[in-house]
Amino acid sequence: MDFELDTDQQAILDAVGVLLAQYAGPGRAIDLAAGDAYDFDLDAALADAGFTQVAATRGTGPLEAALVTEAVAAAGGMVSFGAAALVATGLGAGDLPGPIAISEARPPGPVRFASHARTLLVLDRKADEARVVALEPGTCAAVRSSFGYPMGRVPDALARSGDALGGGSAARLACWWRLALAAEATGTMAACLDVTTRYLSQRRQFGQAIGSFQAVQHRLAELAIQIEASKWLAREAAFQGAPAEGVATAASYALAAAAQVFAETHQLSGAIGFTREHDLHVFSMRLQTLRIEHGGVGAHRRALSAERWGRA
Amino acid sequence: MNFAFGREEEAFRHEVRAFLADYRDLDGFFRQGRVWPRVKAMFQAMGERGWLSLAWPREHGGSDASAVMEFLLWDEVAYARAARNPLAAGIVARTLIRHGSAEQHARWLPPIRSGHLHFSLAYSEPEAGSDLASLRTRASRQGERYVVNGRKIWQSYAQDMDCLWLLCRTGSSESRGRGLSLLIVDIDAPGVQLTPHPTLDGEQLNEVLLEDVEVPVENRVGPEDGAWALMSEALADERHIQFPPGRVRRDLEEMNAWVREQGLADDPHVVRRMADLAVRVLEVEMHGLRVLDAMQKGLPAVVEAAANKVAHSVVCQEIARAVVDLAGPEALVEGVRPSLLWRQSLWETIGGGTSEVMRGVVARKGLGLGGRA
Repeated sequence: MDFELDTDQQAILDAVGVLLAQYAGPGRAIDLAAGDAYDFDLDAALADAGFTQVAATRGTGPLEAALVTEAVAAAGGMVSFGAAALVATGLGAGDLPGPIAISEARPPGPVRFASHARTLLVLDRKADEARVVALEPGTCAAVRSSFGYPMGRVPDALARSGDALGGGSAARLACWWRLALAAEATGTMAACLDVTTRYLSQRRQFGQAIGSFQAVQHRLAELAIQIEASKWLAREAAFQGAPAEGVATAASYALAAAAQVFAETHQLSGAIGFTREHDLHVFSMRLQTLRIEHGGVGAHRRALSAERWGRA
Repeated sequence: MNFAFGREEEAFRHEVRAFLADYRDLDGFFRQGRVWPRVKAMFQAMGERGWLSLAWPREHGGSDASAVMEFLLWDEVAYARAARNPLAAGIVARTLIRHGSAEQHARWLPPIRSGHLHFSLAYSEPEAGSDLASLRTRASRQGERYVVNGRKIWQSYAQDMDCLWLLCRTGSSESRGRGLSLLIVDIDAPGVQLTPHPTLDGEQLNEVLLEDVEVPVENRVGPEDGAWALMSEALADERHIQFPPGRVRRDLEEMNAWVREQGLADDPHVVRRMADLAVRVLEVEMHGLRVLDAMQKGLPAVVEAAANKVAHSVVCQEIARAVVDLAGPEALVEGVRPSLLWRQSLWETIGGGTSEVMRGVVARKGLGLGGRA
């Protein structure tokens, strides 16, 4: 057992960091969000460097894909990276054209990245199958939202169409989707805490940095503990190849923590965190989108309970 | 003990409701910046009825009405989502009445009472938020004028207001709370510059830059260096109407309607969550009434008001968050109520005194624990 990154993993994250420094960051996310845009440049850069396929590459696997997913989220990358690198790859669905969006079959509703997607993965619980739907960009009308990602409305008929991926595909899609959510939430929460901690180290009131007040420190420490746990639960689930119980645990934990991270980082940032010019909202608002996707925390918890103790 | 309002009070509540029927679609409580001309017109209509000066003394054009009547008025206005109570008729006017000169009364009170003159509070600064006593905006006396220099931040609605109620330093830089004065500054005065900071609820907060702004000495309210006590007094006058429970009562009703619309009303998890919130809303009502009761008895209500502010603002957020969690992705769409409430309610635990400041008041003054005063 070893919680350290090995040299290859470190090299991957270093290389990803170079790309993200060029093609991501909160300022870029704010600009892209203003036009409901997708970051095709970042998407292409990640694909060209082989990171999108890292889970299917010899010598690396889902753990490396999860590490990159976490890093992309922590940098505010406006790309559907988890869906491509973890979910599509994990499903073994072949080389699907991106961007990839993931939707429930019923009701599909507004879906993250759907307005830009060229592939839609549909989880149809009733038919117990996952399907792949090829899309022309613009098939799903853009939906305005202030929650950090471009959204598109998936028409009902579209969500019922597509090529089935065969037996057990629904369960596999559900698992990889949970893993992607846990990894994205972890990276996004880490960024929220980072923005907040940096601000509170500088901001002074009552003659001292706000971050030096014990009551504030305790609250930040509690977030740090939860984010750390989210990270390792997600990484372990990735390492194990996205087992149902592991991903349900990781997603339940991370997305429950996300509620507290959202509330506390905003509260501790005060008025500046309420403005659109401060970086916090780039990350914090995304947490809520992640929280309710794929049935939300309640669905992850029910899945965990069912895996562990069987259905009632 | 008696938890009911009197007949006359209930009659007034109905009169207010009838008045507000014309403003049902105004939504000025959340979107004042976008509908200010209509909000202002409503304030003027309220002014004609004497409602902006309800509890002012008769000699200043008021009705000497009770705190209960004022509470009922602003509770209904909040429930109707029509507006937030205007600072001019509250904090500004009460301070003027108590500490202003006869000339100041004659000049400022009539237009405030009629809803024609509006104020933005200019207290916070980039380096002085919760720690207000450290503020740096300086007013230097030069003969019959002050020359004001400094920067204020986080002023809500300042873009539409007529005057700033400016808290500034006239004492030495180490004087903290003992060296502050209150000035009335025309927002169009040369040297006053507003910069908007767009906020997550689609509105804006403002930054106010003051560069060599000349303010006549007759615009100072109360004694030089003596503003701290005035501010505390004025705040005390407003405690029962600052965070009316009508806001959360309405939040819950809207959210319940939304949940039903989404077909979730029979889900046991939803039912439980809504019941929890209904209890919290009643808790907020009780805190609000507790403040009102203390006010009526002439008690300071400092702790009650701090507790009310915490409970009220936290419940605003709990309702908004519960419904977004329950209703799923549809709640994220721009323009739907849950999306707006989610974003707007973020401000409630920060603006008007953070929850941290309020909890500090409950701990120090309510529980008698030590620490910074």
